[in-house]
Amino acid sequence: MEWMITADEPGRTYLMQGNEAIARGALEAGIRFAAAYPGSPSSEILAMLGHVAEKMDLYAEWSTNETCALEACLGASFARVRSLCIMKQNGLLVVGDALHSASLSGVKGGLVLVVADDPSAHSSTNEFDSRHQARSAGLPMLEPANMQEAKDMVKWGYELSEQLQQLVMVRTVTRINHGRSSVSLGELPKEKPDPVTIGEWDRMVAINWFKDAQIAKIDQAKSIFETSPFNEYKGPEEPDMIIVTCGTGWLYSSEAVEALGLRDRIGILKIGTTYPLPEDFIVKHLLKTKKVLVIEEVDPFLEQNIAGIIAYHPELQVELLGRYGGKAMPRNGELNPDIVRNTLARLTGTAFTGPETAVIPPEEAVALPARELTFCAGCPHRASFFLLKQTLRIQEGQGVVMGDIGCYTMGGQRAGHYLYNFLCCMGGGINAAEGMGQLTRFGFKQPVLALAGDSTFFHSCLPGLVNAKYHDSNMLFVVLDNSATAMTGFQPHPGIGQTAMGKAAEPISIKKVAEAIGCPVTVADPFDISGTTSKVYDLLKQPGLKVLILKQECATLVVRKREKPRVWVDQELCRGDDCGCGRFCSRIWGCPGNIWDYEAGKAKIDEVVCVGCGVCISLCPAGAIKMEGGGACG
Amino acid sequence: MGKELVKDPLNIIICGVGGQGNILATELLASALVEKGYFTTVGETYGASQRGGSVMSHVRISAANEYGVLIPLGQADIIVSFEPTDTLRVARDYANKSTLILTDSRPNYPLGVLIGEAVYPSMEAIETELKKLSREVMIIEATRMAVEAGNSQATNILLMGSLTALPQVPLTAEDYDKVMEQRFKGEALELNRKVFKIGYEHINR
Amino acid sequence: MPGGMDLKNEVFQSSTCALCGACLDWCPYIANMEDHLVMRFDCNVGEGRCYAVCPRTYADWQAIGDRYLPDTPRNIEIGPYFNVFRVKAAAGIKGQQDGGTVSNLVKTIMEDELAQAVLLTGSEDHVTPEPFLAVDIDDIEKAAGSRFLASPGLRKIIEAQANKVQKLAVVGRPCQIQALRKMDFNRRPDKPPLDLITIGLFCMWSLGWDFNEYLQKNFPGEKILSLGIPQHGFVVKTDKGEHILPLDEVKKFNKAGCGYCLDMTSELADISVGAFEAEKGWNTVIVRSAKGQELLDKAVEKDYLICADYPEEELNRLKGASIGKKNRNLNNIQAAFDKGVKPFIDLNSEMYAQVRKLAEGMVK
Repeated sequence: MEWMITADEPGRTYLMQGNEAIARGALEAGIRFAAAYPGSPSSEILAMLGHVAEKMDLYAEWSTNETCALEACLGASFARVRSLCIMKQNGLLVVGDALHSASLSGVKGGLVLVVADDPSAHSSTNEFDSRHQARSAGLPMLEPANMQEAKDMVKWGYELSEQLQQLVMVRTVTRINHGRSSVSLGELPKEKPDPVTIGEWDRMVAINWFKDAQIAKIDQAKSIFETSPFNEYKGPEEPDMIIVTCGTGWLYSSEAVEALGLRDRIGILKIGTTYPLPEDFIVKHLLKTKKVLVIEEVDPFLEQNIAGIIAYHPELQVELLGRYGGKAMPRNGELNPDIVRNTLARLTGTAFTGPETAVIPPEEAVALPARELTFCAGCPHRASFFLLKQTLRIQEGQGVVMGDIGCYTMGGQRAGHYLYNFLCCMGGGINAAEGMGQLTRFGFKQPVLALAGDSTFFHSCLPGLVNAKYHDSNMLFVVLDNSATAMTGFQPHPGIGQTAMGKAAEPISIKKVAEAIGCPVTVADPFDISGTTSKVYDLLKQPGLKVLILKQECATLVVRKREKPRVWVDQELCRGDDCGCGRFCSRIWGCPGNIWDYEAGKAKIDEVVCVGCGVCISLCPAGAIKMEGGGACG
Repeated sequence: MGKELVKDPLNIIICGVGGQGNILATELLASALVEKGYFTTVGETYGASQRGGSVMSHVRISAANEYGVLIPLGQADIIVSFEPTDTLRVARDYANKSTLILTDSRPNYPLGVLIGEAVYPSMEAIETELKKLSREVMIIEATRMAVEAGNSQATNILLMGSLTALPQVPLTAEDYDKVMEQRFKGEALELNRKVFKIGYEHINR
Repeated sequence: MPGGMDLKNEVFQSSTCALCGACLDWCPYIANMEDHLVMRFDCNVGEGRCYAVCPRTYADWQAIGDRYLPDTPRNIEIGPYFNVFRVKAAAGIKGQQDGGTVSNLVKTIMEDELAQAVLLTGSEDHVTPEPFLAVDIDDIEKAAGSRFLASPGLRKIIEAQANKVQKLAVVGRPCQIQALRKMDFNRRPDKPPLDLITIGLFCMWSLGWDFNEYLQKNFPGEKILSLGIPQHGFVVKTDKGEHILPLDEVKKFNKAGCGYCLDMTSELADISVGAFEAEKGWNTVIVRSAKGQELLDKAVEKDYLICADYPEEELNRLKGASIGKKNRNLNNIQAAFDKGVKPFIDLNSEMYAQVRKLAEGMVK
């Protein structure tokens, strides 16, 4: 919350979300620049900084993509302004070239890059471990183990960054970003330095001449980390085993050691500076034991770096266990207290007795319906997928659909009638479609469609659109324009007309951009199911590149803005179970607002969740769904 | 520092379906606990919360030290749920024979039920199994009461009222009111106060 | 009675669909665009109206004929009939072709309120058909001229029912008249019977909508004014002139489903209307029911139509053409059944044996 991260109350403790703590840490460091592209679980950080930007005398932007964000921060850093860059793990891969180059040029004003990983990919397409990128690019990295550390590490990151003249990465995971815990506030700076003048011979240049300097910086970071308070050992002097852990693994390990009564047998070596590792510090502690278990999120990154240390130190006679090979710990997936405790119990031969739980035999257990993800009530994507699916069926040409990343990724699931044939990454759909669309020259006849959201359009589809146009691929590019980055919580993007700081900006028209590239553009309303179906049908018959913008505002935004009309079912008219439509409204349309009245055997509207979009009215063959009142749609 | 807890750590799960407001309710609860001086951590799953998925918050309260954000299986002391099948789903994983369960009775139909491929179980069947899994089950028609009080969106705060009224929870109605005062203004504050009181008195009558 | 998924498997996927439109608009699963008619989403209804009304699912056509034309003398070649006439309009209606008989029959229906609405097919661009419910005499003009592209006009039955039309007149192709009869024959016992006047058209085949693309490609920028087969060849009149396409070229665009049709003259209609080959300006009219005769009489009484005797020689030619179509398509049907299409008629029945025999005789 904005008031909390800007509270001038040093020493006061608040319950803070990890993302709030990170924003607070950056504010305590006196940043004047912040740039990010939204992505769960990182999105709240820049959202909050944007809201407090004016008050805290800083600039914040939702950049068009992660590369824009990082390079913008480099620009600010060149003028010795402290900057914060934020992204999720997928974004770090987008930014790979910039990252590896920036580590050669180094920075001037402190630059901290927060990368939020999503173990088990709760709201991602993959659980890529960002830490490989820090090592690959040769950048120092910190990993907070709780919310207090998240704040403190970000703040200290600026000192480190300026001391090394290097970008510093802070790697978090979902449970830190979206978890909450007590955080004790530090001081906010009274004054912030202004940007310096860039002299004629000032340079920030990323070329390989600076490789030696980059190596020197990482070596210097290592020696600083040797005495970092973010690393600590707690446990007996001659433990049976040492748990080396970082991030969320730390509290899971402490709880497991307590729960199993192993405090006298097991030591915990917590590492907060996970790249480069404080080698001497680690060797000193590992000499105390013969067995080491590494507990960390996603890949055996810490583990294999420790394996490296062990290889260089013959004095260490330890057995190393962890995620590598999947023997001691699961090779992938998010950690939790049970996995950690069970692993520890098994490795130490200790039994765990928890509270007594009931065992329900399977035949007595109530069958529970799975809670699948679906589009929200009134979501325009539901209408878009419905009409695209039916058009492809009507067209009878077995269209191939290339998906993309956003709320509409669910279009590949039941909610979208399993429409997708292909899904890769942001911007992947249009490029794959371009390629397949070129195969018509070899007799490929199926229509090819690519889908992308409005935010994704700006993020990564522009080069793809230029490519598809220039090479005149036979494809239909569908932009699902819901005027929102809804998946991650409604951050504005260049099409919206509002900045992260709440200022008005001239919105960039997707239609005009596509037209300027030379594409024929059709704009249609996905809520007009039959009209838009005809348009898509006609477009699919035309050769070459076509762009279709399906424009209708995200229901979650609409419902905040207008009075909700009442939609209801006239059960006299509804054909019901008795004759005919097979519950078309609830079974096929599948909006959470269209439910079944099992007692009456008729359709019904769940008026609590219905937002009054009224699309189902046009789908009911009996004309039984009615609407009254409310403001007009989008 | 707050008073000694009936159990340390005290583990509370607040769950429901995305969009029901359990994240906000949990955040208020945990803030009130931090204000009382307890180490309080909250683990949340969302991101999917706008889109009908199950959403669960873990609250861990300790007078001694900080705990990780996730509650181990079978170790929830209290489960507060906005949706009956989610109550059962969570109870199967996290309840034990001392667990107290507080649940709304209003179904939120998942996609499979809407399209007629899956059957939504009866409240009686859910209750029977919940009783086997826990010590006590309290069914509260929270949504209905919130709708009667003015807004279904306030169901979350109503259930927080009921939770706060439980003797195991080291908070008073005033403690929760303080954080509501920090977060809400005007009509929203009045509505939330009203439904909190309804939920509180429902348990404490 | 089977349901939607059976219709999909037996009719849509085997391309026997005649595009009559009887299954459309009642059912939310079946969608149509141009001449594509598909299941847009999988239907879970076990028994369907769609299947019951389809002219390409199994029906006992003799029983249906006995129900709706009980007293009409049977004829194997052109179906049951009382009389065949030469008919033409006394005065023209704008845009009409041939004898203008249909337009004047419809006008009579409307004036005498024999029905509350008439299902007609118009076309704004003179190519793509647009079915509509006419309620006004002025509407008739919109339907003047011949339609060659297949049109799912019977979808409008649902609109008529929704508008509480009790008595409906339908001008339709043979497949549509068949579907209408099936619709009533298989109606649920709790539903009232359909009160219809049916004017059936003669039909050799309908064209798929890709013919429209063909026209646009071959006559770019030209505005089409009419299509027709006046004598020989397919005549396309445009704002730039007249083009004659060889019939064989046009027939390439025949709707596949029309190849399974055994009815050239709308044998189940109250009255059937078609071209009169021997002399331009006249129609052939086959009266099949008392209702049909009554309608014709009224139109003649009003001096809208002139009715004359039908030459014996022409009747034989008409019957020959009908038998020719039946025989050709019986072969198609046989081939389709051999390939696994679910039988929708009993090919071994005595009637079809007679058709084959007559066709053989013709060849000789």
